[in-house]
Amino acid sequence: MNIENTQSQMRKGVLEFCILSIIKRGEVYPSDIIDEMKHANLHILEGTLYPLLTRLKNADLLTYRWVESSSGPPRKYFLLTEKGARFYDELSATWNELANAVTTLTSANGQAQSESMTNTDTNNFNQ
Amino acid sequence: MKKVININFQGRVIPIEETAFETLKQYSDSLRVYFANEEGRDEIINDIENRIAELFEDKIKKGATCITDEDVDAIITSMGRPADFDEAGAGEFGAGAGASSKAGSQASYASAEETVKEPRRLSRSSNDKILGGVAAGLAHYLRIDPAVMRILFAVVTFGGFGAGILIYIILWIVLPAAELDTTRVLRKRLYRNPDDKVIAGVASGIAAYFNIEVWIPRLVFALPFILGIVSSAFDRHWWGPGPVIFSGGFGGTLFVAYIIFWIVLPLANTAAEKLEMRGEKVDLESIKNTVREELSSVKGKAEKAGSEFKEKAQAWGQEVSGVAKERGKAFVAEAAPLARKTGSGLGHAIGVLFKAFFLFIAGIIVFALFMALIGVLIAMVGAFPFTSFFLEGTWQNFLAWGTIILFIAVPVIAFAVWLIRRLMRVKSQKSYLGYVFGSLWTLGWVCAILFVASISRDFKNQTPVTEDISIVQPSSTLKIKAQSEKVRYYDRSWWWNDDDNDNNRDAFFLNANEDSMFLNTIRVKVVKSDDSLFHVHTIKMSRGHNPAKAEEKARNINFSVKQQDSTLILPKGFTISRNDKYRAQRVLLIVEVPNGKKVVLDKSLNSYDWFDVNYNRRGIGWTVEWNDNWDRDYSWDTNVEYQMTEDGLKRTDNKDVKIKSGKIKIDESGVEGEFKTEDDGNENKNDGYRYKKSGADTIKVITPVKPEAPKTPEKKTKTTEAGAATESLFPFTKVIDVI
Repeated sequence: MNIENTQSQMRKGVLEFCILSIIKRGEVYPSDIIDEMKHANLHILEGTLYPLLTRLKNADLLTYRWVESSSGPPRKYFLLTEKGARFYDELSATWNELANAVTTLTSANGQAQSESMTNTDTNNFNQ
Repeated sequence: MKKVININFQGRVIPIEETAFETLKQYSDSLRVYFANEEGRDEIINDIENRIAELFEDKIKKGATCITDEDVDAIITSMGRPADFDEAGAGEFGAGAGASSKAGSQASYASAEETVKEPRRLSRSSNDKILGGVAAGLAHYLRIDPAVMRILFAVVTFGGFGAGILIYIILWIVLPAAELDTTRVLRKRLYRNPDDKVIAGVASGIAAYFNIEVWIPRLVFALPFILGIVSSAFDRHWWGPGPVIFSGGFGGTLFVAYIIFWIVLPLANTAAEKLEMRGEKVDLESIKNTVREELSSVKGKAEKAGSEFKEKAQAWGQEVSGVAKERGKAFVAEAAPLARKTGSGLGHAIGVLFKAFFLFIAGIIVFALFMALIGVLIAMVGAFPFTSFFLEGTWQNFLAWGTIILFIAVPVIAFAVWLIRRLMRVKSQKSYLGYVFGSLWTLGWVCAILFVASISRDFKNQTPVTEDISIVQPSSTLKIKAQSEKVRYYDRSWWWNDDDNDNNRDAFFLNANEDSMFLNTIRVKVVKSDDSLFHVHTIKMSRGHNPAKAEEKARNINFSVKQQDSTLILPKGFTISRNDKYRAQRVLLIVEVPNGKKVVLDKSLNSYDWFDVNYNRRGIGWTVEWNDNWDRDYSWDTNVEYQMTEDGLKRTDNKDVKIKSGKIKIDESGVEGEFKTEDDGNENKNDGYRYKKSGADTIKVITPVKPEAPKTPEKKTKTTEAGAATESLFPFTKVIDVI
């Protein structure tokens, strides 16, 4: 099993959600998105971001407007649509559920382990 | 020391090292390949390039004089190479994205390492079409180059008398349209090479495909041209006045072939396409090499010929301006994905013209078929009263109805339904409708065939019945005429011809009423009598299921000949009863005229429907005694008096032909001319003769210029005294002496 595959799959899953959450905070420019994600330690390539943004826009979750810039070509600023906002809310709910589930499971593992250990301890202690 | 060029990148002029530019171009092409089927591909690439342009601007602003190799490499690394791209969130967008993005993201796994597994259905392409995408669809199904398919169609069309057009139209209608992804499943495709073109790059494209030198196909195409011009300069007499462009059919074919290639083959614009043209693997390495090659070839040509360099620059400028145009489009509205251009402007225009033409012709054909079907339907309905004269027995009736409904009505209905659905754009998942109609129509075919078989069986046997008519011998001249009896007939006047108007015969029967049909398939034969008496015989013929039935029907023909003084009065027609049915009943009247006696046939006999006796005789079951003498009958004209002589029937009126008008030409070779004659009583105003004098004192009549010959199927050749034969349709051809 290639661990990198699994890792990238995990990242892929949450990528959309992260991007949407960045855009939700206000209209933003793709390069800024990349910077923010870099700061949050989730690296993404421009070549991945642009197609994703286009797909989201084609699905009517995002919209953009052109902003003229004195230094350089005009820029696309993306913002969330209403549909996008609802989408985001659902994803957010899903994420919370997921996070809880994962936390429970992973800590349950630890708990089971620690339980069995305390059992043996008490056993030992009792004896 | 590196060369620096200026590029127009995203609307800005950027100075960049040449080698850096190469790298950038490669990267852009690799992106294009990677995102080949992504929806919104152009927008994505545009965005990425925009970003790159921005970074370039920053660098320039910060004081760099130009963009260097290192800059470009750094930028590409930070953007990411196609191989590094993650496929994030592929196709999980719910209602919005749809299947195409899923297919797109599946297909864009770099450089076709994973082949798309979609079910292969025969369809026509909706995104790669010149006319209707039929050729591209077929080619996609067969995994061959669409250009090859198109050429095949063209060949079949030109070689098979337009069969290709028919096939194409049928396929156009039948095949469903589908978005066929044009991923490079093919390693090698036939393109036109825009970099090396004299006219349209056809020859160099072919050369690249076959990996041969460019001048070879050029020579092949040009050879007939040259040959033609050269040889025509030498030998003018052979090929007529003026220089000959094409030397014979072969040159013409090559010319046409060149035009076909021009239309059909697409221009290899991008580096990826150029690689395909040569059949090399499309990946970054080869793209890099291709771009390098192109640039070096630019250098070479610039040193060689200034005009070709300009061409190259134009091409580049076009491409770059194309990118700028793209950006502009994206600025104004959301960029729509550009369909892959499948031909040059010329080819496209011709394609549009052809498409319009095809649709027009197809529409007309379909409309005509439809009208014909409706017409047949109406005719069927109109013929209904007379069906009882045709059909015998319940089985036949049933078959007849079956044929009408299934064979004729079903296609009409099916077509109408299809038309309506097409107009309303109803899309049906179920194709049972087609099957239902198809099976019904097959049943209709079966019915039709059985019906035809059954009817033809009824007409198989023919039996004649002979009767001698006793007549009182007229003194010298026997007159024959036809007179109408009073017959009740239908009021409706669909197929009726007036009894007096003799030359109009659309229907084979004259009249019909409730229980009998009135036919006029009667023929009068005039022959020479063996003795010195007039004889008249009738031969009544009918067809039937078997000889006995045929004979019975023949006997039932009601044809009574009356005589009034020296005139034989024949009825205008004869009746057949509904019981007997119509079975091609005919009456042949034989008039034997003795030598020396005269006969006149009245023009009322023209109303008879002539039929060919010899054909009938070849049929089966001719059991009557046939006097061979009766074969030697003579042709006659109505309202002319004839006398039977040793040589046959001869007109008794003037031998000389009265000339009414005409023109004559006299020169050394003889006399030639055309003239119109005056023929008493002959209503055909267009009589005329052409004649030519060839001998010393004779004029031979060559051809009578008469548009409608009287009903004599036999031709007579008579020998003149000079020994040469003339052909004429009149019994009185004679050598006319001219003084």
